[in-house]
Amino acid sequence: MTLLDLSEDEVVEIRSLPADANMARRMSSLGLFAGRRIRFVKAAPFAGPLLVEDQATGARLMIARAMAGEVEVTRGRTPKP
Amino acid sequence: MAARRSPDELVVALTGQPNCGKSTLFNAVAGFRVDTGNFAGTTVSYAETALRFEGRDIRLIDLPGIYSISSFDPAERVARDFLLSGEVDVVVNVVDASILSRSLELTLQLIEMKIPMVLCLNMMDEAQHKGVLIDLERLATLAGVPARSTVAVLGTGIDAVFAAATKMSRTAYQPRDPCYDRDVEDCIAGILARYPEALRQALPVPERFVTLRLLEMDQEFERRASQVDAEFVRSVQQDRRRLATLHGWPESGVLASHRHALVLDLYEQVATHHRGAIAGMREKIDRIITNPVGGLLTVVLSLLLTFSLAFFLGDLVAKLVDQPFAALRTAIQALPPSLAVALLSGLVEGVVAGAGIVLPYLVPLLLLLAVYEDAGLLPRIAFMVDGLLHRVGLHGKSVVPLSLGFGCNVPAIMATRNLENPRDRLITMLVIPFVTCSARSVVILALAGKYLGGMTAAALYLFGLGVAMAVSFAVSRSKQHKALGLIMEVPPLRRPYPTIVMKKVWLRLREFIVVAWPVILVSSVLLSAASYVGIDRPVNAALSPLTTTVLRLPEVTGIALFLGVFRKELALVMLATALGTTEFDLVLSQSQILVLVIFTMLYIPCIATLAALFKEGGLKTCFTSAALNFGVAVLLAGAVAQVARFFA
Repeated sequence: MTLLDLSEDEVVEIRSLPADANMARRMSSLGLFAGRRIRFVKAAPFAGPLLVEDQATGARLMIARAMAGEVEVTRGRTPKP
Repeated sequence: MAARRSPDELVVALTGQPNCGKSTLFNAVAGFRVDTGNFAGTTVSYAETALRFEGRDIRLIDLPGIYSISSFDPAERVARDFLLSGEVDVVVNVVDASILSRSLELTLQLIEMKIPMVLCLNMMDEAQHKGVLIDLERLATLAGVPARSTVAVLGTGIDAVFAAATKMSRTAYQPRDPCYDRDVEDCIAGILARYPEALRQALPVPERFVTLRLLEMDQEFERRASQVDAEFVRSVQQDRRRLATLHGWPESGVLASHRHALVLDLYEQVATHHRGAIAGMREKIDRIITNPVGGLLTVVLSLLLTFSLAFFLGDLVAKLVDQPFAALRTAIQALPPSLAVALLSGLVEGVVAGAGIVLPYLVPLLLLLAVYEDAGLLPRIAFMVDGLLHRVGLHGKSVVPLSLGFGCNVPAIMATRNLENPRDRLITMLVIPFVTCSARSVVILALAGKYLGGMTAAALYLFGLGVAMAVSFAVSRSKQHKALGLIMEVPPLRRPYPTIVMKKVWLRLREFIVVAWPVILVSSVLLSAASYVGIDRPVNAALSPLTTTVLRLPEVTGIALFLGVFRKELALVMLATALGTTEFDLVLSQSQILVLVIFTMLYIPCIATLAALFKEGGLKTCFTSAALNFGVAVLLAGAVAQVARFFA
């Protein structure tokens, strides 16, 4: 399941970031990384980006669809490594 | 960047993540005494100011906002290299206290650089509203750096930050390195034990810092270190792979994951949560703005407000500005013609033109934009229109520069600095000159509005917008797309503060005054001199193939179009002179007026815009833009002229 498969207000946990190292690094420096819980706020019109909220900080980010499709998420909590 | 004024001048660099309030803090200290510039050989800009604090000279530098110190973003690279250059005495790390757990990521990376540092927790009020209480002393102790709290928008706590910074420069700095997991630390110790002497010489930065960069797969550090000792870098890569397999993380993220854990641990030790009271009202407004209907309504309304303010109020102010000069103009015209009088009149026209653009059109636009920006409206507008702009090869972040372009293209070109991706920046820079600025609006209104009707004028305005979008589409197709993909922070809605808004407006206005106005003045004087000497004949003859054959206009329009390059609205004035009348419909047919307006709207950006393009994008961008505009103008205006033949 990726970020694209969520419905509004759903809270999920990030499992893995995109394979592209630079993309992953950019996301991770913005607070999105494996284990982080985020809420899918809503999607922009005209197939625009997604708005997500980092549950730890309340910070909101908009993510392009192409990027969001590569972020694997899960509904349940994964045990901490 | 200015050199140190004295050996004991303290160089303090402000650094922090975007939207942390770093620049607000900088502006609060600097007031209106700000110098801006680009780091040598880059388009990454900084601002600096000089101040005295407790008898000590301080040079304060505002570095670009960065999320981390990796190498793939030009701003991050430049900021990091500057911090490591040895020019900085103290770094003040500004963090948004309301999102502390994320902000500390950069803080840890900065600590690893081992530059004397002060941690400045900004937006402490926001954090409290959110229900987050931060134990400053404990944070300072755990992080090993002094920590102070500020609310930059209110100007509180800033003195304490500078007091800590000056004190920092007097005491020996003994940072404590953030301590990672046992496996990682063992790995680092192993690498440090075999750290080559040659690398130590070649890269005069802390060895542990270099080691961590290599473990983080920082491409630039790998490249630099490989040049010195490729064998060493290969061995570090092996260590990195081993750590990655051990922990089950991707190789590029193994160190980052450990740092996340470190930050989370630190955060949990210093922060306590209560129930926040903030959400209510703001959340409600935010829900409306980011809702498709409410959002698009907000976009349309804010654009409408901006334009009506700029055009109706602006028009009023423009007349007021023009009036005092009218008498001066008449007086000058009454003088016996001579070169001196021509030069004087050119100078006056230049001053009037500058004031006629700046005061009425630019100030309202900049003012509203600053308000939208500080309120946090712009990222939301970007969010709403990103999908649409994507279809023409732009994205949400281009909204600001493009909308500024309706006032004047010059500050719009400068505003493209907020686009970190060079490709997006180039496309936006090439599209901006197609956005109908206020000077060209004057031409549309005076020619099309008067002789072809208001509907035609409005249609031409939309036509201009369509051309801009079409150009964007075409240009973006020709430029290979390898962007990272947009990921952008959407900061919470905030109340704009008038003093901060005014400072922002002034700083941007100053850019226009410094770059565009001198160009307008000089070209205005030259122009006046040239027409006095009588260069119109040869120019008309030279341009005749274009004007008479392609555009089917009278030959005398050549000089007006030529001079319009200096200032677009000048084409209109010169046209009146060239045709010997201001009743254009007596000498031009309706289709000729239409062709003239379309051509003036599109052909070659004005000289001040070209100067801005050159400054921001280099010679090639400047030429490409001129050629692109000229080509499109000839094509479209020419087509209209040729089609009109059959209906004449």
